[in-house]
Amino acid sequence: MNVIASYLILAAILFCIGLYGALTKRHAIIVLLSVELMLNAVNLNLVAFSRWGIVPNLTGQIFSLFNMTIAAAEVGVGIAILIAYYRSRGSSNVRDMNSLKR
Amino acid sequence: MLDNIPILSLLVFSPIVGILALLFIRSENGRLLRIVGTAGTALPLLLAIWLFSGFDFGGGRQFAEQALWVHLPLPTEFVPGGVQYYLELGYSLSVDGISLALVFLTALISTMAALASFSHIKKRWKAFYIWFLVMEIGMLGVFTAQDLFLFFIFFEMTLVPLFFLIGIWGYKEREKTANKFLIYNGIGSAFMLLAFIMMITTGGFEIRETANSADYVYTSSMETIMHNMVSADSYVNSAAYAQSPFHLDEGTLVLIFFLLLLAFGIKLPIFPFHTWMLKVHTEAAPSVVMLHSGILLKIGAYGLIRFGMQFFPEQIERYALLIAVLGVINVLYGAVLALVQSDFKLVLAYSSISHMGIVLLGIASLSEIGVKGAIFQMVSHGFISALMFLLVGSFYERTETTALEKLGGLAKSMPFMSSILLTAGLALLGLPGLSGFISEFLVFVGLFDTRPVLTVLGVLGLILASAYVLRSVLRITYGSMDARFAEVKDARLIEAIPMIILVAFIVLIGIYPAVLSETIGTAVTDIINGIGG
Amino acid sequence: MEAVYAQYAWLVPLFPLIAFLVLLAIGRTANRSGPVIGVIATLASFVMALLVLFEQTAEGGMAYVWNDLEWIRAGDFVLAMGYEVNPLNALMLVIVTFVSLLVNLYSMGYMKDDPRITVFFSYVALFTFSMLALVISENIVQLYIFWELVGVCSFLLIGFWYTKPEAKAAAKKAFIVTRIGDVGLFIGILLLVWNMPGHAIDFTNIGNAFASGDISGGLATLIAILIFIGAVGKSGQFPLHTWLPDAMEGPTPISALIHAATMVAAGVYLVARTYPVFEASESAMQVVAIVGAFTAIFAALIALTQTDIKRVLAYSTVSQLGYMMLALGIGAYAAGIFHLFTHAFFKALLFLAAGSVIHVLHEQNIFKMGGLMGKMRITGWTFVIGALALAGIFPFAGFWSKDAILAEAYASHPVLFWVALITAFLTAFYMARLFFLVFTGQSRAESSEAGHAHESPLVMTLPMILLAIFSIGAGFFNIPGSDRLAAWLTREAPEHHASVLVMVLSNVFALAGILLGWLMYGKRTIPQDWLSARATWLYRLSYRKFYIDEIYDYVIVRPLRVFGYFLHLFDEFIVDGIVRLTANITLAIGRAGTRLQNGQLQTYGLVSMLGLVILAVAFVGWRFVINAG
Repeated sequence: MNVIASYLILAAILFCIGLYGALTKRHAIIVLLSVELMLNAVNLNLVAFSRWGIVPNLTGQIFSLFNMTIAAAEVGVGIAILIAYYRSRGSSNVRDMNSLKR
Repeated sequence: MLDNIPILSLLVFSPIVGILALLFIRSENGRLLRIVGTAGTALPLLLAIWLFSGFDFGGGRQFAEQALWVHLPLPTEFVPGGVQYYLELGYSLSVDGISLALVFLTALISTMAALASFSHIKKRWKAFYIWFLVMEIGMLGVFTAQDLFLFFIFFEMTLVPLFFLIGIWGYKEREKTANKFLIYNGIGSAFMLLAFIMMITTGGFEIRETANSADYVYTSSMETIMHNMVSADSYVNSAAYAQSPFHLDEGTLVLIFFLLLLAFGIKLPIFPFHTWMLKVHTEAAPSVVMLHSGILLKIGAYGLIRFGMQFFPEQIERYALLIAVLGVINVLYGAVLALVQSDFKLVLAYSSISHMGIVLLGIASLSEIGVKGAIFQMVSHGFISALMFLLVGSFYERTETTALEKLGGLAKSMPFMSSILLTAGLALLGLPGLSGFISEFLVFVGLFDTRPVLTVLGVLGLILASAYVLRSVLRITYGSMDARFAEVKDARLIEAIPMIILVAFIVLIGIYPAVLSETIGTAVTDIINGIGG
Repeated sequence: MEAVYAQYAWLVPLFPLIAFLVLLAIGRTANRSGPVIGVIATLASFVMALLVLFEQTAEGGMAYVWNDLEWIRAGDFVLAMGYEVNPLNALMLVIVTFVSLLVNLYSMGYMKDDPRITVFFSYVALFTFSMLALVISENIVQLYIFWELVGVCSFLLIGFWYTKPEAKAAAKKAFIVTRIGDVGLFIGILLLVWNMPGHAIDFTNIGNAFASGDISGGLATLIAILIFIGAVGKSGQFPLHTWLPDAMEGPTPISALIHAATMVAAGVYLVARTYPVFEASESAMQVVAIVGAFTAIFAALIALTQTDIKRVLAYSTVSQLGYMMLALGIGAYAAGIFHLFTHAFFKALLFLAAGSVIHVLHEQNIFKMGGLMGKMRITGWTFVIGALALAGIFPFAGFWSKDAILAEAYASHPVLFWVALITAFLTAFYMARLFFLVFTGQSRAESSEAGHAHESPLVMTLPMILLAIFSIGAGFFNIPGSDRLAAWLTREAPEHHASVLVMVLSNVFALAGILLGWLMYGKRTIPQDWLSARATWLYRLSYRKFYIDEIYDYVIVRPLRVFGYFLHLFDEFIVDGIVRLTANITLAIGRAGTRLQNGQLQTYGLVSMLGLVILAVAFVGWRFVINAG
C-alpha cells in the first residue's frame, strides 16, 4: 500500500465523521465543529496530494492555508449568526431552525 | 337596421354596463346594488329580444362580425424551410338558430336568476353581481363565438366566476365544492385546449397567396377548421396540406373527437363524471344553481352538437352507438338514483343527469327529429331546472331545509308556490302540454328508427321519472302539515314574477313548439346534411 | 248534407277550457260564482255536443276532419293537429258532457262547504276539457297528449284532499300505474310513426293502412298489444287495475266522473278508435278478449267481500270495463260501445247515490249503515234502479248492453261466455249485498248522525233522477232487432246474434244472484258468514284483493328501491370513491413532498447526500456495465 492511500483513508474517515456530525447533531456548535472537521479532511487531502500527487507542487499546501483562513472566518460568521439566533429564539437546537420552509 | 350595428358584440358585452355601474356603488348600499345588478341583466335580455326579432328563420348564420385579433409571427428556427409562419387568432361572432335559442335562454334565465338572488342572496351583493355579470358575458360569448380561441376564452370566463359564486355564497361545504368543481372543469378545459390546439395545428393550417408572397397561417377560425376537417379528403390533397408540418390522419381525428367528448362530457355531465355536479347542485346557492343547471350544463350539450356533430360527422356516426349507450345509462342511472334520494336538491341533480341523457340520445339518433329533440330538451330543461331551483331557494328560505322527510303539507300554507312546484314537476316528468314532453317525444321518435331497443330502455325512464318526481314533489306539498310551517308566507311578488314567466315559457313551448322548432330548424337541417344522413 | 255543427266541434272542449282558465284566474276569491261558471261551461258544451250528435245521426250525416294546424315539423315528419267528428266520438262527446254536467251540478251541493271549491271546479273543467279533446283528437299523438292530461287531472282530483296521506298515496299510484300503460302506448306510437307510410299517424290513415293489410302480421300484433297496454292502464284492466279502487280517496263526484265518463272510458275509447289495428291481428283480439273476461270475473270476485261502499262500486267498474274489453276483443264493436254508453249512466248514478249516502252519514263502511231507505227515498230508489241496471235485469239499460255482449260471446267464444255469465251472477249478488246492507234493516251506525239522516238537496238529487231515467231507458237505443246504434256506429248493417236463450240465461243468473243476496243480507235466512266461516282463506283472498298490491310491492317496488339504494352506495363509494381516491393519492404524494421540505437544513443535506451517492453509484455502475459489455 502506498503512502498516499493511508492519508486519503484518514481524510475520508474524518470527512465521514464530520458529515455524520453535521447531519445528525442537534447542537448548532457541534454542527459547526463537524463542518470544520470536514474542511480539515479536505485540507488533509490537499496537503497529501501536494506531496505525493501525480504532479507534486506547493499549490496544494498554499490552498490549504487559504482554506484554514476562510474556515476561521466562516466559523466567525457562523457563530455570530448563532448568537443572534439564540438571542431571538432562545435556542441553539438545529431542529428548531426550520424557518427555511417558509 | 341591424346591418350596421355590431349587435352581437353589444349583446355579449352588454353586462359590462352593469359591472361598471356596480363599481361606483358603495358596497354597503345593498338595495341599490341589487337593483342595479338585476337591471344589468335586463340589458342583454332586451338585446336578445331585439336579436330574435331581427333573425331570419330561413337563413343560416347571421349577424356575423369578424376582426383579426392576434397575428403572431412564429419563431422560424423550428419550422422547415425557413418560411415565416403566422398564428392567427380571430375575433368572430355569429349566431345560427341553435345559438340564438341558447342566447335567448341565457339572457332570460340570467334575469330570472338575478331576480331570485334579490331575496335569496344575503351578503356581499356587490361582488356577487359583478361575478354574476362576468359569467353572463362568458355564457353569451360561448354560444356566439365562431373562433376556437375565442370560444375557449369565453368558456374559461364562465368557470372562474362560478368558482367564486359557489365558494362564497354557497352552503356549508361550499369551498370544498368550489374546488371540486374547478378541478373537474379544469381537467375538462385542459382536454379541450389540447383538442383545440391539435385542431388549429392540423385543420387550421392554410396558405394565403398574396401578390408577391405566400403567408403560411395557423388560424383558429371555426369555419376554416370545420371546412378542412369535414372535407378531409380534398384538404389532404391540397397544396396547403403538403406544407403543413402536422398531419391530419384518421387517428388524430379520432383522438381529437374523444378529447372533445371527454371535455364536454364532464360538463354535461356524462356518467361517471357526474359527481362534481351533484355537489354543486346541493352546495351552491339556488340562484347560482339556476344558472349552472339552466345554462352551464347546456354548454356541454352545445359543444357536443357544435363540435362533435359539425366537425366530426364521420366519427359521430361511427361512435353513435357509444353515445346512445351512454345516454341510456345516464337516463336510467339518474332516474333510479333520483328515486332514493332523501334531499330534494339531490333528486333534482340526478334528474338533471337523467335529462341530459336524453340530450345524448337525441344527438346519437343523428336524425333531424332527434337532434331537434335534443335542442328542445336543452332549452326546456333550462327553463324547468331554473324554475325548480328558484322554488328550492324560496322554499329553503322559509323552511330552512330541503330534506324530504322534514318537509310536508306545504300546499296548505303556500298554495301558490306549491302549485308552481307541481307544475314544474309535471313538466319535468314530461307531461304533454308542457315543454318536457316535446323534447322527449322528438328524441325517442328520432332514435327509434335506428336503435329501437335502446329507445325502449330509455322510455322506461319515463316511468321512473314520474315515480321520482311525484314521490318528492308530493312529499313536499301534500300530506299533513308540520306545525312549524303553519305561519310561513307564500311567495313574494319578486319571487312570483320569475316563477310565472318561467312557467309561461314552459307552457308556450309545450303547446306551441313551432316557436322553437322554426328557430332551430335551418341550423339542424344544416348539421344533419353535413352528416349526410 | 253539409256538416255544419261538426265544423264547430272544437267548441265543445273549448268551453270547459275557458272555464278552467277563468277559474284559475279568479282563484279562491269566487267560491260562490266559481261553480256556476263550471256548470254553465259544461252546459254549453253539452248543448254543442248534442247538436253535433244530432247532425251525425241525421240522414246522410258525414264524418268531418280538419287538421291544418301544423304543430311541429322535423325533416319529413310533420305533425299537424286538428279534430275529427264521426259517430263514435259524437256519441262520446255527448256521454262525457252529459255526465260531466250532472257531476258539476251535483258537486255544487256535495262540495258546498269545501274552502277550495273553486279549485275543485277548475280541475273538473280541465278534466272535462282533456277528455273531450281526447275524444275529438284527429291523430294518435294528439290523443296521447290529452290522454296524459286526463291522467294528470284524475291525479289532481284523486289527491284533492291532499292533507290525507291515503289520498296522496292513491293519487301517486294512479298516476304512476297508468303511466306504465302510457309508456306501452308511447312505444306503440313510435312504431306507428316509423311504419306508417309517410309518417301519417292520423286515425283515418292508420285505419286504412291496417285494414288494407299494409301493416299486418307480427308487427300489427305488436302495435295492437302496445296500444292495448295503454288502454289496460287507463281502463283499470288486470294487471294494472290496482290504482282504480284506490282512486276512491277522491271526492265522490270525481269517482263518478272517472268511472263513468272520463278517465276509464278513455281506455275503451282508445281501443275502439284504433279498432282496425286490432282487427288486423287475430292474436291481439284474443289477448283483448281474454284480459277483458279475466278482469271481469276477477274484479267481481274481489267486489264480493269489500266493505267500503265506494270500493265495491269501483271493483264493479273494473269488472264492467272488462266486459267492454271482452266485447271489443270478440269483435262485438258496437256492443262494447253500447255497454260503455249505458254503463256511463248507471255507474254515474250509483256513485252519485253512494255519494249522497256518504254526504249524509260521513261514513263509507257498509256494515255501519243500514235502514236508510225510509230516510232517503230518492237516493234509495235511484240506487235500486242503478243496481238493477248494473245487474242486467230486464228491461233496464244494463240488460240490453250486457245481453248484446253475451249474445256475441255465446256465438263465438263459449268459454268466455260462461265466464261472463258467472260474472253477471256475481255482479247481481254483490249489488244486492250492497243494497240490502245499506238501505234495509236496522241502522248500525255508531255515530248519532245516522239518526237524523235526511235526503240530500235538490241540486244533488236532480242529477240522480235524470241519470235514473237514462238507466232505465238508454237500453232502448239498441234493442235487438232494431240495432240502430250498431248500424249507425259502424255505418253498415249489423249481424244479429240475439238469442232468447242468452237473454233468459242472463236474467236467471242475475235474479239468482239477487235472490242469494236477499237471503243473506236482506231476509237473513242464510247467515252472512256462511261461506267466510267455512273457507276463510277464500274469503281473505278476495278481501285482500288477491294480494296483488302486496305482490307488486314485493316484486317490483321494493327490489327497485333496494336496487336504487345499492346504486346510491355505488355512486357514493365507487364512482365518487375512485374520484376521491385519485384526489387523495395526489394529496398524499404532495404531503410526502412537504414532509421532505421541512426546513431542516440537516434533512436537506442528507437528501442531497443520498442523491449524490445514488448518482455516483449509478454513474460508476453504468461505466462498469459499458466496460464489461
